[in-house]
Amino acid sequence: MTASSNSRRTFLAGATTLLSAGMVSRAGAASLPEAPVHASAATAAPLVPPNGRPYNPVVTLNGWSLPWRMKDGVKEFHLVAEPVVREVAPGMTANLWGYNGQSPGPTIEVVEGDRVRIFVTNKLPEHTSIHWHGQILPNGMDGVSGVTQPSIQPGKTFVYEFVAKHAGTFMYHPHADEMVQMAMGMMGFWVTHPKDIRQHAVDRDFVFLLGAYDIEPGSYTPQVNTMLDFNLWTFNSRVFPAIDPMVVRQGDRVRIRAGNLTMTNHPIHLHGHTFQVTGTDGGWVRPSARWPEVTTDIAVGQMRAIEFVADNPGDWAFHCHKSHHTMNAMGHDVPTLIGVDHRGVAEKINNLVPGYMVMGDKGGSMGSMRMALPENTLPMMTGTGQFGEIEMGGMFTLVKVREGQARGDYRDPGHYRHPKGSVAYEWTGELPPAPQAPGMAPLAPAQGKPVDVKRGGGHEHH
Amino acid sequence: MTSTPMATALAVPILALALSGCASFSPDGGMDAVNRATQARTGAATTLLRTEHDRNALAEQLKPMLAQPLGADDAVRIALLNNRALQATYWELGIAEADLVQAGRLQNPAFGYQHKRGGGSTSIERSLAVNLANLLTAPLAVRMERGRFEQAQLRVTSEALKTAAETRRAYYEAVGAAQAVEYAKQVAGAADASAELAQRMRKAGNWSAFDQAREAAFYAEAMADVARASSAASAARERLTRLLGLAGTEGGYRLPERLPELPAAAPELADVEQAALRERLDVRAAAKEAEHTAASLGLTRATRFINVLELGALREREGGEPVQRGYEVTLEIPLFDWGTARTRRAEAVYMQAVNRVAETAVNARSEAREAYFAWRTAYDLARHYRDVVIPLRKQLSDETLLRYNGMLLSTFELLADAREQRVAVAAAIDALKEYWIADAGLEAALGGRPHGAAAAGDKPNEANKPNEANKPNEASQPNKPNKPDQTTGSTQHNAHGAHP
Ligand SMILES: [Cu+2]
Repeated sequence: MTASSNSRRTFLAGATTLLSAGMVSRAGAASLPEAPVHASAATAAPLVPPNGRPYNPVVTLNGWSLPWRMKDGVKEFHLVAEPVVREVAPGMTANLWGYNGQSPGPTIEVVEGDRVRIFVTNKLPEHTSIHWHGQILPNGMDGVSGVTQPSIQPGKTFVYEFVAKHAGTFMYHPHADEMVQMAMGMMGFWVTHPKDIRQHAVDRDFVFLLGAYDIEPGSYTPQVNTMLDFNLWTFNSRVFPAIDPMVVRQGDRVRIRAGNLTMTNHPIHLHGHTFQVTGTDGGWVRPSARWPEVTTDIAVGQMRAIEFVADNPGDWAFHCHKSHHTMNAMGHDVPTLIGVDHRGVAEKINNLVPGYMVMGDKGGSMGSMRMALPENTLPMMTGTGQFGEIEMGGMFTLVKVREGQARGDYRDPGHYRHPKGSVAYEWTGELPPAPQAPGMAPLAPAQGKPVDVKRGGGHEHH
Repeated sequence: MTSTPMATALAVPILALALSGCASFSPDGGMDAVNRATQARTGAATTLLRTEHDRNALAEQLKPMLAQPLGADDAVRIALLNNRALQATYWELGIAEADLVQAGRLQNPAFGYQHKRGGGSTSIERSLAVNLANLLTAPLAVRMERGRFEQAQLRVTSEALKTAAETRRAYYEAVGAAQAVEYAKQVAGAADASAELAQRMRKAGNWSAFDQAREAAFYAEAMADVARASSAASAARERLTRLLGLAGTEGGYRLPERLPELPAAAPELADVEQAALRERLDVRAAAKEAEHTAASLGLTRATRFINVLELGALREREGGEPVQRGYEVTLEIPLFDWGTARTRRAEAVYMQAVNRVAETAVNARSEAREAYFAWRTAYDLARHYRDVVIPLRKQLSDETLLRYNGMLLSTFELLADAREQRVAVAAAIDALKEYWIADAGLEAALGGRPHGAAAAGDKPNEANKPNEANKPNEASQPNKPNKPDQTTGSTQHNAHGAHP
């Protein structure tokens, strides 16, 4: 661990676990730049550029940005592709492949026009390569192994060098053993800041990648052959309640950039505000072409930058709108038990399976049940708000808008304190008669009895 | 009073008394020897029921035994006393002894009386006729009948041992079969819960007729399995009842709910072969036969001993077979210096007997090995179920419940696992049952002596309960090879010793 790498950054969660990878920089490669390693899953404070052109740094949700060195006017980065252990959430870790100790790898931040030289050392058990998604660069630097370059064999270091021509939102990932390496978590964010620090300037700029994994409960390594039936839907390989909130000051102009490296689209939805899609991996959207949204779909392989003014204080949900994507590991073949009377049967089952508890007969909600689970897995939905169970997991977090939040302060301010009279409340007064369509029999009050479903005109089922 | 015929008449009963002194009715009818043999080899006594009083006494004796769940040793005890076929066999001993005693007695003397009158004179002729030939052959007849009596004793003892072994087998079959019913019912219970839940799933509109029918079919099949298991259990119990000779209210005896635990350790093969040669009645009978032959040929001086098994090994070598290695057990019998033998016939007769002993010994060892390997396999299998399969199934069940908790699996999978777990437990019970049956088989192959199994024989096996930690039975000790049984040996010598 070097003093310089330590002093460069502080951590929001206080868990300072930054290590420098002396093993690479010292081991007979004096010309290689340092390859810092980051082990904490906490969100690191933005990396203020110590040299080179100034820019407004981004905040990588539950991640960090990669320091560089300037050499003869070239920004030199060093990525080490290697197996890592990622904490998906407290209580669950995953054996992934990533870069410099984490998956996703560190965010690379450069400025439009920067000449960039990236050393890539392969410490994986198989060859790899890196594709710089969205960059306009010489063909031989595009990182498609077999097409534009030979793959990087284990133990070898390759160099990529190009000019970051256009400001925008990008990512990096392998184009070698395509399916396996992305399923194992090989990905990272890339931001090219505009040359003019005032251009596209926002107060807070959050970035993350959407990733999906299939990790069988009780195991640690993703099923790389899974095509669509994933059970962990993540922002930066984290699931709620372990995704940090995006904390902003009321009135801040906020940008959130997300890239999709899963195998399906994600309609990302923000509560309490309207936003505009201001950028894609193709570049910035002309202001005249932007339209208001509260949900934007991020298709597979796409990047989106959205912007809004955080004018409404509160704790606002921010999530993928596919409801299964706001759940953690769950059985996909579990039959629906809603409305099924368990009286008598539950006792029978309990005789056979001590510890059995009826679940799902009234719906999926498990309330405050806390039952033992297989090792290394998470409850399907969890997280507690000030009013009770949140009952969401996966691709879910909160945008916390606070009036008094200091500039540059990303610390979680806790639950929002609602002004008096601004929270939905129980009505205890007289109920007005239920409106009724003319000619219809009044609705029977709910009896709690199971519904006897008859289909096809009174056809009897036995 | 002093007439000659009268003197003769007095002498005859004296002679008869002298003869009958060497073959009178024993107070036990020969059963004492049989009793001692079964005591030594099965740990259970046997007795001949002569009178209604004996039978009533036995009924009283059985009452407390039948009030408790029956252990395997209890079952053997009851069978040896109460099995009617065995009682019938015991009477053979009485018949043989009667023949023996009869052979030692002279035929009743014939008494003649002739009264003649004619020519003025009257003559009275009295005669006492004694069967002289009978008198002369009596010792030989006694010797033959004694041989038969000894054979009858051996036969009765071996019948008793056979019944003991059969009872032991039938006992384990009956207990194991009843236990299997319990588990079949639990499997059916899991299927029942599934079927009922499926019905309600259907009623709530959550499941199709297909899904419901599938669960109903599982249940229907499980019920058929219960019926099959119940039928097998009642057949097994009745086989045992017949061997125990129980009827009426006595037929309502109880069995323990579980088979005894697996003993902690196993005997070695060498011990087993040794025990077979030492204990088996057929081996003893053959050796005794050779001894008798030698004795009757007047060959009394042994100059050296021949090892029957070396004889066998010698033949194997001649046949180009590999020589046995590892360990050797020996059975030594006397062989005489034929250089001084008077006839080649004597040699031939004796060598016949020697080869019969050899054959019997080879067979006994082979049967002991066969029984041992069957026993060993059954032991290892039962242990494998206890130590590996059942704990793994338990782990699977635990993990399944955890998965259910996480809503990763449904109740139906939980119930399917409960079914599978119980099927595995049933297989474990079957393996344990097979072990105890093999144990009874090994016991029989070794001449009936329980080889330390009796200690564990009456303990119900708690380890077979599902969801319970299985503990090896610390109390069970490794089985020790049997000590030579002096009691049985002396019984036969005593019978022989009465020979004039
Ligand atoms: Cu989604």
